[in-house]
Amino acid sequence: MEVARLIPGRTARLIASVASIGLLAVGCATPPPANDKAAVAAYNQANDPYEPFNRAMLKFNLALDKAILKPVAYVYRENVADPLQTNVTNFLSNLRAPVIFANDLLQGEFERAGTTLMRFTMNSTFGVLGINDLAGDLGMEEHSEDFGQTLATWDVDDGPYLVLPIFGPSNPRDGVGILADSLMDPFGWVVPFEYRLGRAVGSAVDKRAQNYDHINDLEKNSLDFYAAIRSLYRQRRVEEIRNGVPASDSSIPGGISVVPQKPDGQQSKATSTEK
Amino acid sequence: MTRSPLKVLGAFLFLVLVYSAPAQAATPEDFVKNMGDKAFASLSEPGLTPEERTKRFRDLLNQAFDLPRIARFTLGRYWRTATEEEQQEFVQLFEKFVIQAYASRFQDMSGKKLNVLNAREISAAQALVLSEIQIPGKPPVKINWRIRSKEDVHKIVDVMVEGISMSVTQRDEFAAVIRQTGGKVGGLIEALRRKTSSD
Repeated sequence: MEVARLIPGRTARLIASVASIGLLAVGCATPPPANDKAAVAAYNQANDPYEPFNRAMLKFNLALDKAILKPVAYVYRENVADPLQTNVTNFLSNLRAPVIFANDLLQGEFERAGTTLMRFTMNSTFGVLGINDLAGDLGMEEHSEDFGQTLATWDVDDGPYLVLPIFGPSNPRDGVGILADSLMDPFGWVVPFEYRLGRAVGSAVDKRAQNYDHINDLEKNSLDFYAAIRSLYRQRRVEEIRNGVPASDSSIPGGISVVPQKPDGQQSKATSTEK
Repeated sequence: MTRSPLKVLGAFLFLVLVYSAPAQAATPEDFVKNMGDKAFASLSEPGLTPEERTKRFRDLLNQAFDLPRIARFTLGRYWRTATEEEQQEFVQLFEKFVIQAYASRFQDMSGKKLNVLNAREISAAQALVLSEIQIPGKPPVKINWRIRSKEDVHKIVDVMVEGISMSVTQRDEFAAVIRQTGGKVGGLIEALRRKTSSD
């Protein structure tokens, strides 16, 4: 497992053992026969050699979601007043500012780092501990960064698709990013574990409540929920890494061959830029 | 060379036709703006029944989108492995599938607004129109439209919401279904049939 080599210590062993139990239980995806060109292309494009494990992991995550997170998020969404929910969202995103700031710097995005710093300063003080997004109202819009994105800007490959327990859709690069972000978060250094746990649970409920309708919609309208999530996750990450700037013509997803007249040559180009 | 009156008349008619042809060659930006205004006006009408909304959505979809082209794209490499009958049925099912999946997403449009920001050329025949949907109390949602233009007729060939392309998502999902049903387009068609005949 690539993850194991990249993450040090106990966590790595834990992830590796969870992953290898999963892999032992369900095995790897079988590559299609080499003479079936369309199937080979689809297989390579999916870049998901651990698909059976990932599908099992999604099932596990969905079961957890249905049992705990979804009902809690529903109650929260239906019973807490909208302005208060916005306050909670603002408070939680303000806590992320130091990590975003660090990643802005690591990516050499000094202007964005300045925005993040200003936002944090203003919202933490005049915005009362971040519950009001005053800076946003003044045109300093929030943006997100994480160490997975930083690694991507350093040309680290994302690696195969990986569904992590609880964390969900990921890949080795972004998995390392999650760990690095939690290590570089100053709030994680100074406060006890209970606080961090509470914040993690709060964030999960907040996010789940915000995406409640989207997730329902996707589940209802997809032929293959797993494949839809995989595609969305990848495209979303590419967009985040580019900071929302539309790519130059050749790398717009699906851009090259809207007419698949020469599907093989043209599409492989589109695929390679998608990663 | 004699000039017969008929030829002169013919030339005259030709000129009239040429010059009276749509003088207002709409840009892709105008096209998206008009389409957006129309969609918001027609789909946000209060008291619309779900059936009526679906019908209006279908009309808009067929006017503004090049659905057969999108359908073909979403099949990717498998398009060529499909028989002609399969291709035809797939295009029909794709339209049904899109309507079923997307019509309901336009239920709540009150207070929302589509702002066309600008456009950029991608190729001689294609442009990317950048826009955003403003939602009261929330950050705007970025929507980019890929427009293909031919003889001043514009058609949408892809929509990207916050960088997520509808066509690519659909293509990836369809490829997974085909892979799971034994690598045959027939398996996907069967799944689409089932999906579009339920509810």
